Amino acid sequence: MDSLIKAISRKRFRTGWTAFIIAFFLFFVILPTVYILSYAFTNWGSIEQYVLNDPAMLDLIIDAILASFQIAAIVTVIDILVGLPMAWMLVRKQFRGKALLDTLIDMPLAVPTAALGFSSAIFFAVTPESLAAPAFALNMVTSPFLLIVLLHVVFSYPYMVRSLSAILVQIDQTYETAGRTLGASALSAARTITLPLFRAGLVTGIILCFARSLSETGGTMIALATMANSGGFATGPTLIGDWKHDLGINPDLAAPLAFVSILLIVLSLILLVVIKLVIMKVHLPMGRIWPRPEKLFSRGWFPKTKDGLAVFFLVVFVLIPSFFIFTYVGSVESSSFDWGPFAESLMFSFLVAGVVTVIDIALGVPLALYIAKNRTGKLSEVLDVLVNVPLIVPTAALGYSLGVFWTGQNIIPTYDVLLIILAHVAFTYPLVVRNVAGAVEEVDPAFEETARTLGAKPVQAFRRVLYPIIKSSILAGAIMAFTRSLGETGATQAVVASAQTAPVYIVNLIKLQTSSGYYTAGLACIVLIIVSFMFMLALRYITNRRAH
Amino acid sequence: MPDVKLVGLKKSYGDIKAADGLDLEVKDGEYLCVLGPTGAGKTTLLRMISGLLVPDEGQIFFDGQDFTRMEIEERKAALLSQTYALFPQLTVEENIMFGLDIRGADEKLKEQVLISMLDLVRLSGRSDAYPRELSGGMQQRTALARALASGADLLLLDEPLRALDARLRISLRIELRSLVKTLKMTAIHVTHDQDEALVMADRVAVIREGRILQIGTPKEVWDEPATPFVANFVGQSNFFTGEVLQSSPFTLIRTPEGTVLKGRPSELVTGTTAVLGVKIGNTDISKDRKGYLKAKVERIIFEGRNLHVDLMMDNGQRISSKVPSWRKGKIAPGDVVDVYWEESKGTVFPMPPNGLENELKVE
Repeated sequence: MDSLIKAISRKRFRTGWTAFIIAFFLFFVILPTVYILSYAFTNWGSIEQYVLNDPAMLDLIIDAILASFQIAAIVTVIDILVGLPMAWMLVRKQFRGKALLDTLIDMPLAVPTAALGFSSAIFFAVTPESLAAPAFALNMVTSPFLLIVLLHVVFSYPYMVRSLSAILVQIDQTYETAGRTLGASALSAARTITLPLFRAGLVTGIILCFARSLSETGGTMIALATMANSGGFATGPTLIGDWKHDLGINPDLAAPLAFVSILLIVLSLILLVVIKLVIMKVHLPMGRIWPRPEKLFSRGWFPKTKDGLAVFFLVVFVLIPSFFIFTYVGSVESSSFDWGPFAESLMFSFLVAGVVTVIDIALGVPLALYIAKNRTGKLSEVLDVLVNVPLIVPTAALGYSLGVFWTGQNIIPTYDVLLIILAHVAFTYPLVVRNVAGAVEEVDPAFEETARTLGAKPVQAFRRVLYPIIKSSILAGAIMAFTRSLGETGATQAVVASAQTAPVYIVNLIKLQTSSGYYTAGLACIVLIIVSFMFMLALRYITNRRAH
Repeated sequence: MPDVKLVGLKKSYGDIKAADGLDLEVKDGEYLCVLGPTGAGKTTLLRMISGLLVPDEGQIFFDGQDFTRMEIEERKAALLSQTYALFPQLTVEENIMFGLDIRGADEKLKEQVLISMLDLVRLSGRSDAYPRELSGGMQQRTALARALASGADLLLLDEPLRALDARLRISLRIELRSLVKTLKMTAIHVTHDQDEALVMADRVAVIREGRILQIGTPKEVWDEPATPFVANFVGQSNFFTGEVLQSSPFTLIRTPEGTVLKGRPSELVTGTTAVLGVKIGNTDISKDRKGYLKAKVERIIFEGRNLHVDLMMDNGQRISSKVPSWRKGKIAPGDVVDVYWEESKGTVFPMPPNGLENELKVE
């Protein structure tokens, strides 16, 4: 043990290790994620032939991409409008049941999007006869576009509320109090003093919601398959999923697939930059004050109505759709259910998620340490920006790009499991890195430095001093990575069309459009929800403990 | 118990030179205080000695061996930081034993050291407490015990008393020094507090803009400052400029107004411009006796033991004086008084190349 510690403490080894970690990140995470962009240069001919010169195909793609971005934009706006009052309430107000409300907000995060898609679609949409939706379902939505908007609001809403409240907690209320002692009404003070300080939270919230909506595949596919007549409606990611599936029979789809992926990747990266610039640079005319109406709206019925509506929205548009699946499975006639294939796919999902999490921790923590400790370095700055790329790129595009990259090289064998694991590592790795880097930055570097001067080698200083302090953040990152991997559909399908993970299995069941298929899918969703929910509880327990 | 030698250390951050040709020798078993204003490069100096920072140029010797690029943990130089950096997840005992644990010392030795250390820093009853449960003074002593127990020969103290309240800070000065002396360690203690440096140090090194301006015993630095900056930073001084008339057996300078002032002998060339510095505590005022020059009392601040008197000279320059409080009734604002000092208390310097004002600036 001693000689091992000595060996890995050598300067040369440490430099080599750092180089290896950075190389891994660039070569296994970033490069495969955006590799498909090179297709535009090497195979422009086939893009022209199969896409640009085929008006039907081009229309299809443009419609789908447009739909994706429109949905993401509408969803984000809705999230801001309803998320802000909710975040405000959670942070600034004291009331009975606050803890319960706080837990309820996170509930949809515990439900894999595949299950969420099924559950929401049964509740909102007009569904086929064979599904036998319960009579008390809303059963109203006939537009696939509207259905997808509603679905995406369900799972992105918690992200917005969480990002906004995280910043709101940090904004000192004394500014507002000072404003009020100077004669501003509650609304004027909040609007002119606190809201402008909000930008950072708004940026995080908007980017998270936008990226999640743009990226969503499994939930969207399931919701579309569940509704009675979706009329061939598609989003960017669902196109990728469907076409990748058909690629075996129709090799001509390679060019359109690459084209859709490139568009999604490029547009999402551009959008990331634009959103950041717009929100940080553009000044809204917030300074103007209307004393009378604002005073009027500061008390009485207005704030109460606002809070009431925020809670109403949460219940009707987020919570009920999330868990409607339970009433559905309880209300329909049971049919026989063959647990075998589902259990197998669930095991497979667990295996993938487990391996992915281990890789994320083993290779993500070192990168996080490097980024956090070399804050002033140029390289570290670049890495910090690059880490966001796989979070922004829609996972279906990421998966397709990664599949093309690895099958095109003869460096590693391209077993299906391996490809799926690599794809899941690509989009979960940033979660671990961000979490851990954030935690390390909070820790006073004097701890590790002092340990070194007391005679600890770098590994010992990490193991004995830094690790115990950031342990819970590593665990939190790990659980996030695990649940994200467990619920992912888009990347899995895009990298290996025939993959049998639990969410993909559910998608395929619903696509059968038979009563027993629906019922089985419902049961499978419930199992998936319960499993994810247990992880969610563990996560809350760990993060709460950290807070104290 | 090493002697430490720094030769021509340089370190810059962009345009800022935190070390600009640092030379310093610390003797075996010496308690050296490095005194300087914020931003003078004190922390950079300590970090280079501890190995946390690699200098751009220059060398660091421990006992004659080149340690410039030696690993941090091999130097046996324990750092005691301003914030103490007590490991929050470890108890007092575990914190103190950290260094020995790392080195895999045997249980018997560990127990011995622990008992003697707890005894030394008077924390025997609190060995199971966590750092957050301790008062500031106890935390400070735990950090000290941890550094002492680590087997280090050299102790690097970065403003170790800064976070404590005034009274505790003063009582811990003597305690800290005698602990280090008992264990025969070499200590380099960085501070911006001149009283602390004067009371604790065997020798004081005054640092500014990454260079050592003067190194000497507290008395030397106080009585024979090497530059006007040192004269003003270590105890406030009044400065007068003028032309050198003679330089021995004592120096005479003539101000532009024609007043002739006296100071210690120097090697200044007759006819050149010079600066005469006198500590405000050595600047006396009187209504009865004839002084070098006259000034008008502007205000008097009661400081308990002393009175701080601000004066305006005829040429518009302001000077200050500290006199014992019992003279309170004898002077009042508006009085015109004579200003004088013993010639041995006046130090003469050549005019600094950047002018006196720049020389005295504390950034």
